[in-house]
Amino acid sequence: MTANHTPQVREPLVHLSRRTEFSPLRAWGVRLAALVLGLIVCGLAAFLLIEKLQQNPGRIGDFYYAFIKGSFGTSRKLWKMLKNLSILLCIALALTPAFRMRFWNTGAEGQTLMGVLGAIAVDFYFGGKWPEALLIPVMLLAAIIFGGVWGLIPALFKARFNTNETLFTLMMNYVATFVVSYFLVIWVPSGSSSLAKLKYGKLPSVVNDYFLIILIALLLTIGLYIYLNYSKHGYEISVVGESVRTAQYVGISVPKVILRTMLLSGMLCGLTGFLIGSGLDQTITTESVGGQGFTAIMVAWMGNFNPLMMILTSGLIQILNQGAAQISQDFNVSGALPDVIVGIMLFFVIGCEFFINYQLHFRRAQSKEAVR
Amino acid sequence: MDNQLALQMRGITKRFGSVLANNHVDLDIYRGEILAVLGENGCGKTTLMNMIAGIYFPDEGQILIDGREVVIRSPKDAFEHGIGMIHQHFKLVDLFTAAENIVLGVHEEGAFSRRDVNARVTAIASKYGFSIDPEKKIYDMSVSEKQTVEIIKVLYRGADILILDEPTAVLTPQEIDRLFQVLRVMKADGKSIVIITHKLNEVLEVSDRVAILRKGEHIATVSTRDTNESELTEMMVGKKVDLDIRRSDPVDAQPRLVVTGLNLYDAEGVHVLKDISFTANGSEILGIAGIAGSGQRELLESIAGLQPLKSGEIIFHNPKKNKPVTFFHKSLRRVEELAGQHAFHDAAGNPVSFAGMKKKDIQKLVNDGQVLFNEDELINLRDKTPLQIRELGVRLSFVPEDRLGMGLVGSMGITDNMMLRSYRKGPHGLLDRKKPKALAERIIEELQVVTPGTQTPVRRLSGGNVQKVLVGREIAFTPKVLMAAYPVRGLDINSSYTIYHLLTRQKETGVAVLFVGEDLDVLLALCDRILVMNSGAVSGIVDARTATKEQLGLMMTRTDRTRKEAV
Amino acid sequence: MKKIAAALLALVLCLGCLTSLAAEPVAKENIKLGVILLHDEFSTYDLNFINGVNEAKEALGLSDEQVVIIRNIPESNECYETALDLVDEGCNIIFADSFGHESFLLQAAKEHPEVEFAHATGTTAHTENLPNFHNAFASIYEGRYLAGVAAGMKLNEIKEAGKLKGETPLMGYVGAFTYAEVMSGYTSFYLGAKSVCPDVQMKVQFTGSWYDEKEEKAAAEALIALGCDLISQHADSMGAPTACENAGIPNVSYNGSTLESCPNTFIVSSRINWAPYFEYMINQKMAGEAIDIDWTGTIATGSVVLTDVNEQAAAAGTAEAIEAVKAEFAAGTRHVFDTAAENFITVGGAPLTSYMADVDTDAAFTPDTEAVADGYFHESEYRSAPYFDVRIDGIELLNQMF
Repeated sequence: MTANHTPQVREPLVHLSRRTEFSPLRAWGVRLAALVLGLIVCGLAAFLLIEKLQQNPGRIGDFYYAFIKGSFGTSRKLWKMLKNLSILLCIALALTPAFRMRFWNTGAEGQTLMGVLGAIAVDFYFGGKWPEALLIPVMLLAAIIFGGVWGLIPALFKARFNTNETLFTLMMNYVATFVVSYFLVIWVPSGSSSLAKLKYGKLPSVVNDYFLIILIALLLTIGLYIYLNYSKHGYEISVVGESVRTAQYVGISVPKVILRTMLLSGMLCGLTGFLIGSGLDQTITTESVGGQGFTAIMVAWMGNFNPLMMILTSGLIQILNQGAAQISQDFNVSGALPDVIVGIMLFFVIGCEFFINYQLHFRRAQSKEAVR
Repeated sequence: MDNQLALQMRGITKRFGSVLANNHVDLDIYRGEILAVLGENGCGKTTLMNMIAGIYFPDEGQILIDGREVVIRSPKDAFEHGIGMIHQHFKLVDLFTAAENIVLGVHEEGAFSRRDVNARVTAIASKYGFSIDPEKKIYDMSVSEKQTVEIIKVLYRGADILILDEPTAVLTPQEIDRLFQVLRVMKADGKSIVIITHKLNEVLEVSDRVAILRKGEHIATVSTRDTNESELTEMMVGKKVDLDIRRSDPVDAQPRLVVTGLNLYDAEGVHVLKDISFTANGSEILGIAGIAGSGQRELLESIAGLQPLKSGEIIFHNPKKNKPVTFFHKSLRRVEELAGQHAFHDAAGNPVSFAGMKKKDIQKLVNDGQVLFNEDELINLRDKTPLQIRELGVRLSFVPEDRLGMGLVGSMGITDNMMLRSYRKGPHGLLDRKKPKALAERIIEELQVVTPGTQTPVRRLSGGNVQKVLVGREIAFTPKVLMAAYPVRGLDINSSYTIYHLLTRQKETGVAVLFVGEDLDVLLALCDRILVMNSGAVSGIVDARTATKEQLGLMMTRTDRTRKEAV
Repeated sequence: MKKIAAALLALVLCLGCLTSLAAEPVAKENIKLGVILLHDEFSTYDLNFINGVNEAKEALGLSDEQVVIIRNIPESNECYETALDLVDEGCNIIFADSFGHESFLLQAAKEHPEVEFAHATGTTAHTENLPNFHNAFASIYEGRYLAGVAAGMKLNEIKEAGKLKGETPLMGYVGAFTYAEVMSGYTSFYLGAKSVCPDVQMKVQFTGSWYDEKEEKAAAEALIALGCDLISQHADSMGAPTACENAGIPNVSYNGSTLESCPNTFIVSSRINWAPYFEYMINQKMAGEAIDIDWTGTIATGSVVLTDVNEQAAAAGTAEAIEAVKAEFAAGTRHVFDTAAENFITVGGAPLTSYMADVDTDAAFTPDTEAVADGYFHESEYRSAPYFDVRIDGIELLNQMF
């Protein structure tokens, strides 16, 4: 063989190829490794950024312990984590039908906020006048309608004029924020425009304030899993998402599926808005959803649009968030540090998917292969 | 000149991930010869040539030109070594003229002189026998003219080794003849010509030697003089292949689909289908020939309810057998009228004749429901959606050209793809996967689909298996009309023949088959009649048993030319 | 059912015992302060609280572990959750800094009578009357007035130099919302200026956000373009000061010195110092004394402070003039909202003689308390949070949507 003389010197140092088969076990191994690597890098970043850690490197143990403490330190923290996970999961679930249809709904923030608005509006006007047994279902209904309408509007434009749904839904978020500001000014005409917590319309406490929310999220997850994978609607969503031409070919009305699915997506956002409005805050600010509508996009992507996987991804994000906040508290450092830590972790967690999907070939590794 | 080596490949290996595209291939190219690189789709022949042309870089092995080892990392390197490749998909700038495209990227001293370039282009063209107008814009050109520009582009850069990837795929028989003539002139000029192809007759016609590749391996290089079609096929496929389509004669061909005066305009307002009329009969394969993009796809999609027509009728003749003569026909005059149009028969299928019968007896017979006849129900498919067509009970199957983009859902498994046509069945909102799964398993078994399982996304299957799944599904619904657009495109020989046989079997069970094809030899061997399309119009319908390739080729282009002359 | 009710009653009584126990002195090492912030140190508003906490911690000699700061808590149920987390951590004083936190903090206060809950800018403590729930604010309008005096003197200087952009001196003010807090602030600032420069006028531009650097900068630039000779602001970013420095327009700042970034235009800045309040609460707790339900910090308590005057930008004698006015405040001879002085506060050309302010919070925001008496408007006396929201002559609101 003259393989030794091949001009490999000029081969690029590294090139990529798509992996065809990769066992799930190995994929999870890679993910775990990424998580560990991310934690190590977070530790290094912490040394650079936290003065207290530089002064007393022994506290690095506290640093890592905070990740656990943030979500599991007390039973209250655990419940809180489960509740936050549930809210985030609900929004991500709401996005999933649209995403499976390749309708890039970036408007969950606004749709959820409109849901909160619907619930709180009913509460504001009828709280105390109606019995709770009537008030709360009407709040739920209003939230679902508000969210649904907010989801339906961009879908109408998409179905009729083929507008870009990403920009449209994104814009609708801002519109929703201003609609809320508008109502706050009307409801609280003098002073701060900050609506104090309302006395009525609280979702009943079962076991504790959070249990019902968690239960609803769980039921929604299972329900949506069945809807997407075992229902005719879910099947149509998958076909439209994969290829509009195929859908037309088998006689699926694409506009109808788009409208129906976005209505559902918006309604589920509205339901989540109800959980926030009635189950938690009993008031509304423009920040009531607090960016979770955007985080949920990541949750849905990371969960591969699989409702069951999304339990894990929303849990991961929530544990990271609470852990990072705990670090900020324990070390009394700026509110930007949690963002840095969560950012580093997500970089590794999301980045590792690349290595699961692609293989890197290094020049040297290749010549070894050649010998073999 | 003879036996002078131009280029040698030694132990060339190329991997894509875990796929071994070329495995230690040795190949020699001589000066003044036409070498055919023959192999089925996916055998690695294009990959191999791409490594000479600088598109890919080999993982292992050497390339020698005039005995010296060279490194080819880019098309530019390739040109410096006198290698030029004409790709299957042309790489031309539509808004530029032929000459501008030809000089694009050539670094020459001095100012760009259009006249100079035109003169040189014309000189090259006349030397080898091309006809080309250097000032013509690419968007005004036919496929064959574009190919000419590509070839001259390579020659302009001084290439001595020309590689043509599937050059005949898009040409008419006449254009193929002209191309081969040019290639022979170039060969005589001492150029080395490599044509990548999978068409045996062309290999035998034009080449001096044939290199056969199979699954990335170089099987053999033989002299064209010493071989024949079946030997080459055997080397290509790895086993003996029966190349007989075995066309049967149509039995009782009745009109099944009558199309009249179809006119279609696309979204840009271009007149895509011009006054199309034809009849497709049951028990018959109607071939549709034409240069790619002559309206074949639009025609089938119009019938399938996917295009909004401007005008025209699509009448489906739904056979209704054993209809009794009823009270509606009871006036004897009406019954007699009917008897003039249809042959009556009884429940056992024996013909009924009223000859010599009394009026009363005839009436009794009719009243007892003993007199039956066959009549087609006429259904107009115009302006119906695919769903409406199905709901009307029209069993129309359609194998579209774009298999994974239209006929199937690539990310779904075979089971879920089986459901595409039938998922609406069932009383409630949930899917029933039992029957589709059974169907999937049946198709896998009967058509020998190679797949890890019914859940494996069909995108991961090979082209032939994808097509088997699609055709299998469309046939499973026992259609009355089966339309197939380019059903063997990209398929290996075995799969192609499986499809031909499936279509023939459908025809034998009485189905009206519409077959859009590109290989004229296949059209002539498979079909009963051939409709030739030309620029969106029907330029004629011929009997496939008597027509010739040349005749079809002329019909594919003729009106085009006459139209141009009229302008 | 009765048993459960009885058990609950016992529990409530027990908790009641705890409350009375809370009145016992608490040893210094057992003090633990929890602070809930809306944002973090990137907001000057929240930074001011962080600085206040740290100052109090230093002054009283508390350890790091005795102060827990939680950042970025929105005005939602999360505030309540965080308060409970802090209770779990063993905090006996819990403080929240944003207006919208109030109802959620109140909820926690009701559930944990053994812990003191305090809230800045809030309005409901004096009506809720919970022994462990407190509001606090400072008479920052006095600080604003002092800053206004510095502004008026600067305008006089410009006028004398003949460099006024218009005929009469004009000030611009970038406000966040049309809240009483902002209105009280800009009015007192205006009155301070008017006290030394009687013909001054002011234009106010609202941004609708407490922190929006871009918007605030744009608003300041717009005001400068309208011919303002001096700019002040009640918003938390560096937007307005930066715009002023770029345009060379004098700026009276808020919430802290901007001298470093704006050496040529920064005159003076007023701010609330929260350290005295934290110290007060902790001291009361250690002494076993009750904390005021509604506490108003003043110049005297050290809660209202001014930065050093930037001599390079301010008119000569500014620092002395400020000290003189301060002395008058202390002596009670001068009031910010002086309704007795001629042509000082007029509404629609008429002097302000009576005003019903909305002091007690209710759903309909009904004005309930007569605030004008003894020749002046009694701001921050009936409750700590500002309630002056009169629109007086001489101030033009350019937009009122927020």
